[in-house]
Amino acid sequence: MNINWISFLIVAGATLFSTAVVVGLYALGVRLYAISAERPAERRLHRLAGYGCFAACALAVLYGVYLIIPSFHK
Amino acid sequence: MVVLVIALAFFFDFTNGFHDTANAMATPIATGAIKPKPAVALAAVLNLVGAFLSTEVAKTISGGLIHEGSGGVQITPAMIFAGLLGAVLWNMLTWLLGLPSSSSHALFGGLIGAAIVGAGFGSVDYSVLMSKVIMPAVLAPLIAGVVALLATRLAYALTRRHDPESGGKLRQWRGGFRYGQIFSSSLVALAHGTNDAQKTMGVITLVLISGNFQHAGTGPELWVIVACALAIALGTYAGGWRIIRTMGSGLTDVKPAQGFSAETSTAAAILASSNLGFALSTTQVASGSVIGSGLGRRGAVVRWRTAGRVALGWLLTLPAAAVVGAVAAWAAHLGTIGVILDAVAGAVLVAAMFMWSRRSHVDHQNAVSEVDAAGEVVLIKRKKKLAAAKGK
Repeated sequence: MNINWISFLIVAGATLFSTAVVVGLYALGVRLYAISAERPAERRLHRLAGYGCFAACALAVLYGVYLIIPSFHK
Repeated sequence: MVVLVIALAFFFDFTNGFHDTANAMATPIATGAIKPKPAVALAAVLNLVGAFLSTEVAKTISGGLIHEGSGGVQITPAMIFAGLLGAVLWNMLTWLLGLPSSSSHALFGGLIGAAIVGAGFGSVDYSVLMSKVIMPAVLAPLIAGVVALLATRLAYALTRRHDPESGGKLRQWRGGFRYGQIFSSSLVALAHGTNDAQKTMGVITLVLISGNFQHAGTGPELWVIVACALAIALGTYAGGWRIIRTMGSGLTDVKPAQGFSAETSTAAAILASSNLGFALSTTQVASGSVIGSGLGRRGAVVRWRTAGRVALGWLLTLPAAAVVGAVAAWAAHLGTIGVILDAVAGAVLVAAMFMWSRRSHVDHQNAVSEVDAAGEVVLIKRKKKLAAAKGK
């Protein structure tokens, strides 16, 4: 019986890493947005940083999808 | 014969989409992130897109699981027919009884059972079975569960805010995760397309190879991909009424931040596995994530009895579908009469089950998704509400 354990490690690692990146960035964005609602003085700064986090999160997702489409790598 | 098998395969694909709509869209609908109708339409479209993205899983099924081609055992369309019949019947039965099961395992079980009866124990490549079907089935939900737990902790930790002076809790805006859920659940639907739609493609390709319409070792043809994608998208769309009907019956208590974490880890785990050609059960991965993310919240307790019921359903599916597939294969062995017998018996059973489902009342027990059943494994103690009740 030949089981490829390495590929399970790859799946586990990829899952953990990508989820941590996406959830982390989104949560950071939520936090920044929450701060922006409380401090009117720096509202624009925090809000922009929050949107930046959301955008980075979206980019990370798109990159992940790009990675798994075989026709882009031929 | 080949046409009959392909038709049955499309029916299986349809039931698969039908079965799994709730996996992707139940949580965002429950948290109010998206309205039921657009949610279902979105899931259908993304399933369609996902089916085109990667065909690795289809290749696992069409070339590898069962020794096909000139060197191996002769797989006949009749055997595949029997296998599919086993899968469809088991799928309908579990849906009717509200048992948690996986349509993917039903498919594999049916095919394996039919192959063993039709061509002996040597016809199945057990090493491929173990490394690409059984092990992913066990490990992927575990991986997704652990990752979802960690992600939920992360999401809560990053959004927890205290006032630096008074130490009191500040408003945390975790409702913001609701918008994220629209995207994360879309990803789950996409991932579903890259894994589940592939299974039917693999089966149809296997039929075409066994009927000498296609060379062994080649991937699915374009028309097969298009047709399978359409079938699963249609099934997904048709399955929507179940969610809409059961919305009133009270879904598992899922918070937006938790749902976002669970969905992200589900999508990540499925997409990573699809890429390596692992044919896993999307239902089980989603269930693993929901349980994991539930445990990531404070005051979570596992209901072991419910967990045991879910696990039992998972273990039972493959062998049970194998038995049904084996019986159908045995009948199909008798020749044309056997196949007709199979087809008639299958049609009658499916029709009977459908009628029965119409008659019986749709409630929380038989209509909510398997993932939701898994969500009930985790009990969240509601301290605040209890305290408030006592205060009154």
